[in-house]
Amino acid sequence: MSVVGERIKANSTALIWQWVFLGLIFLVSLIIPWIVSPLWVRIITEILMWAGLAQSWNIIGGYTGYLSFGHGAFFGMGAYVTGIAMMNLEWPFGVGLLLSGIMAALLAVVIGYPTLRLRGAYFAIATWAFGEMIRQIALILEITGGAFGMQLPAFLNLPFFYYVTLGITGLTYLTTYLLLERSRFGYKLLAIREHEEAAEMVGVDTVVIKMKAFALSAFFPGVFGGIYAYWVTYIHPDSVFGAIITDFMVVMAFLGGIGSLWGPFLGAVVVQLVNRILWLTWGEGTFYLVIIGAAICGVVLFIPNGIVGLLEARIFSPREALSQLRKMVKW
Amino acid sequence: MELFLQTVIDGLLIGGLIIVVGIGFSLCFGVMHIVDFAVGEWVMLGAYIGFLFVRYLGHDPMIYLPIIFLIFCACGWAIYPLIFRAVSGKRHNPVLMGLVFTFGLSILAKGGALSVWGYHIQSITTWLSGKSISLDVATIPALRFAGFLFGILITVLFMIFLYRTNLGITIRATAQDREMANLLGADVRKVGAFVYSLYAGVTGMSGVLIGALFSIHATMGAKYCTLAFFVVVLAGMGYVPGVIIAALILGLLQSFVGVYIGGRYNLVALFMVMYGVLLITPKGILRKGI
Repeated sequence: MSVVGERIKANSTALIWQWVFLGLIFLVSLIIPWIVSPLWVRIITEILMWAGLAQSWNIIGGYTGYLSFGHGAFFGMGAYVTGIAMMNLEWPFGVGLLLSGIMAALLAVVIGYPTLRLRGAYFAIATWAFGEMIRQIALILEITGGAFGMQLPAFLNLPFFYYVTLGITGLTYLTTYLLLERSRFGYKLLAIREHEEAAEMVGVDTVVIKMKAFALSAFFPGVFGGIYAYWVTYIHPDSVFGAIITDFMVVMAFLGGIGSLWGPFLGAVVVQLVNRILWLTWGEGTFYLVIIGAAICGVVLFIPNGIVGLLEARIFSPREALSQLRKMVKW
Repeated sequence: MELFLQTVIDGLLIGGLIIVVGIGFSLCFGVMHIVDFAVGEWVMLGAYIGFLFVRYLGHDPMIYLPIIFLIFCACGWAIYPLIFRAVSGKRHNPVLMGLVFTFGLSILAKGGALSVWGYHIQSITTWLSGKSISLDVATIPALRFAGFLFGILITVLFMIFLYRTNLGITIRATAQDREMANLLGADVRKVGAFVYSLYAGVTGMSGVLIGALFSIHATMGAKYCTLAFFVVVLAGMGYVPGVIIAALILGLLQSFVGVYIGGRYNLVALFMVMYGVLLITPKGILRKGI
């Protein structure tokens, strides 16, 4: 605890300004639905949702160092659990959301149990295959409506979904901040990411910690899936289980900077804005896949620490920029 | 009984072709410790290139196999420096960076194929299409048989190369202990480049046959990616000889599930098997993985 205390003391003035800044952003975010046009409320809600999704991917991918390439499965799972809870069981929306999160977390434990004991490559393969399989299951099962999809009761209230998304995204970031940046649990995860054998040697129960982290990182996509299902009112295996959802989470977290608190948020803002602007100008297309793929490759090759890494290196002050750029973008 | 025999034969024939996809992939993992998420996209691109050759130059796709092999070898050789860059240097976790890089590559290839060729489903016809060899108890489709023979041929050549030539021994040494091989004079980077281009060539070539057997579309990669993953997990990651038996088992499994339960349960059954293998014997059914 003393280490944590000292860290906070050392940065206290900077921290106060950060909190003031955050408070301002929070106040502005509260009045957004009343000052911008519905289109932009929609886009901002989407950005918030993606920011939350990217952060939850970041919990397992960035903080723990185990890449999950099937994270979209938890999102789709949440969408269908909320849909079934509301349509077949006629439970209220809130209960459906909670149930979605819990189901997604349980599923994560089931997938994580055999694979998190092994090397990261097994985990990546298993999660990817899991993501492919669960779409197939959603297409087969009767309760999900199969290939016909599922229709939820229409509730056309944009500000409602804005505030719900804002709340859950806020919760995601708060949880990440408290549990991963400021607690023993977070330090254990960091130890696992930096050197797993060493962490094991000093007494960290790595498998349990990794499973907890994976369950936590699956909980939030489940909840977001539920919100998304109620928001768009029609869900289909190809839309909520599509590979593109995982792709987006990965590219956002990586572009912003994995393993950092604000990286996924910045990544989500940039990627989703670009995506929407492309969509508004050119309409539907498949070319955005090329851009996403190229972005992932480019970030891995040239800016492995993402936008946050660039900011920390003070790349945006002109003097530093040149020397840093020479160092980073050296072939 | 006839149905049963037919199912067994079909499964083995498909398994023979899956070997080709799995064997390069497994070697690639053994040497570079990278899971190449783009494996299905190599298959898809191979099928499309074969299709384009047939459409614009005519003749049978089989005669283009060597050319396609060379084209894909060149592609692999060109891409390898990027992968090498992704996994080296001052990074937190080089292996994960490699994973993400190939993941990006696969999205890029899939998006490119979708943008260029759209969602249309294509097919390749060869002189073997529609012909079959009739036995008393079952019929053997000629094209599948050719695919199986191709798989066996490639596997035998691969094994001779790996176990009987100097370069093959260097590759196996690198797979066993990278740093030791480097100390003893193996140029690890060159070995990696060679393995990656060999893998790309073999996988692209198998794509032509897969395209001739099944349909060709831009999103077909995911299926073969999954198959390759299942094969290496079953075989034990990085253990090349295990791929042969694992691919045959998967072929049989696929064919039995398809006939007796229904084709749409294929992926579910495969996943259950993989989950069971990971749970019980994570080093593969022969317990020789790394």
